[in-house]
Amino acid sequence: METNIPSTSTVLSALLRADFTTQWRNRRSFILILIVPVIILISWKGAVDQGRGPLALSTCITVGLIAIGLMGYSNAIARDRDKGIFQRLRVAPVPSWAIMASRLSVQLAMILLVTLGVFLGGYYIDHLSISPAGYALALLTAFVGGAVYLGLGQVIVGLIRNPETVNSTTRLVYFTFIMVGMFGQFGAFGTLTQQIVVWSPYGTVEKILTASMQPSTWTGDTSKALFLTILYAAVFFAIGIKRFQWSGRS
Amino acid sequence: MSHPQGSFILQVEDLNVYYGAFHAVRDVSFDVRPGEIFGLLGPNGAGKTSTLSAVEGLLKPRSGSIQVDGHLLSEQPLHARAAMGVQLQSTSFQPELTVAEIIQLYAGIYGVKLTKDRLLKTLDDIKLAEAATKKFGQLSGGQQQRVSLVIATIHDPRLVLLDEPTTGLDPQSRRQLWERIEAIREKGHAVLLTTHSMEEAEAVCDRVGIIDHGRVITVDTPLSLIDRYRDDPEVVLASRRGKITLEDVFIGITGKDIRS
Repeated sequence: METNIPSTSTVLSALLRADFTTQWRNRRSFILILIVPVIILISWKGAVDQGRGPLALSTCITVGLIAIGLMGYSNAIARDRDKGIFQRLRVAPVPSWAIMASRLSVQLAMILLVTLGVFLGGYYIDHLSISPAGYALALLTAFVGGAVYLGLGQVIVGLIRNPETVNSTTRLVYFTFIMVGMFGQFGAFGTLTQQIVVWSPYGTVEKILTASMQPSTWTGDTSKALFLTILYAAVFFAIGIKRFQWSGRS
Repeated sequence: MSHPQGSFILQVEDLNVYYGAFHAVRDVSFDVRPGEIFGLLGPNGAGKTSTLSAVEGLLKPRSGSIQVDGHLLSEQPLHARAAMGVQLQSTSFQPELTVAEIIQLYAGIYGVKLTKDRLLKTLDDIKLAEAATKKFGQLSGGQQQRVSLVIATIHDPRLVLLDEPTTGLDPQSRRQLWERIEAIREKGHAVLLTTHSMEEAEAVCDRVGIIDHGRVITVDTPLSLIDRYRDDPEVVLASRRGKITLEDVFIGITGKDIRS
């Protein structure tokens, strides 16, 4: 008897439909992800008035990307793994990559929404507008930057199985990134920390986002930051995927 | 590569599963035939779930082969999985999705076209039409079990794997579940299940395999096993009612000690 296996597109569309529905039902978490960037937009109005609008926007997007990768993605993966949802999917004729591709597609949509949300917030709150090319390039860069934090989230769920520990770890890393990143870049913790922050995943993502909003300001350092951003994402995903276990039980 | 249809729907040969240095499943071999309910019985930690997990493709065996409906699991995992339906011991679905959405998800995954009418009929068949918009977590244990079984059989698989399907069910739900399992057998499909209920295994399974310490000790029909071990001193000692049952044979073979 010939066994028919469903086409990849059929499987992917079923998974995407379920994952987007799940995300929609969790739309409150999206609002929480947007809250911090919006607060920054409001509180940094002074910097915007001094002509540092792109920096404010890129900081907000970076913070949003960190929240998506760490708070959203990794916690959802840890919870579903612990509940055995992945194991149930894996006993069906579903390639493992399709399960993850569907999950990551939802996160890419979240990145798109957060970036657009920050642009809209910047426009209405701070009357910030950049060129159409700047918007398009920044959106593209946001996906590259988002990959770094999704990769970091993958590392966390790769190294830690317990969902509560994943939750507390992601909160700690999120808080550390924001505090050290935002204040460290201005030298609040000394020159050495400032240098580390500039070339850290926080700094490189922010740098390429800022430059992409004003393409004329793109320099050799920005290209270096782009290269490092891609490298961070590749390394994080390589470690995260290699160490990832589908089952929550050891 | 598709193998010609043989007389087995599932064939497990010389299966060995390790957890690190621990040898959990040792040279396990058995087969499940069309129109058969095969029960895998054993004390806690005997290797039942590990064997089942290897058949489901969740555990990679160190050695041995598993063939499902003519497809080697190691060579054609997607074909093998498409030929089987699985109900895991602790089934969980996305808590944000409704019962209808979960069934639609798995219908899509198995490539089954599910119209709205067919979905309603499916839910009606398991007396859950009114629960279509409820979240899975809002259902009772028996209702969850019914949904899980519907999902395991939505693509009409040749082999259905059930890991302790009656655990936690009330007598009515258990009776209904057995009727559904017997209906699968009547279609000529096969069922491989694990259970701790010897009474159920004796009443429903066509053949049982008793596994302990990772090894299959014996495989036969419940009646043949009772006949074979009737005079075994350990079995006679285990018998409390005068009449030898499958449970007495099981206790006689695997011992009285409680396993962790």
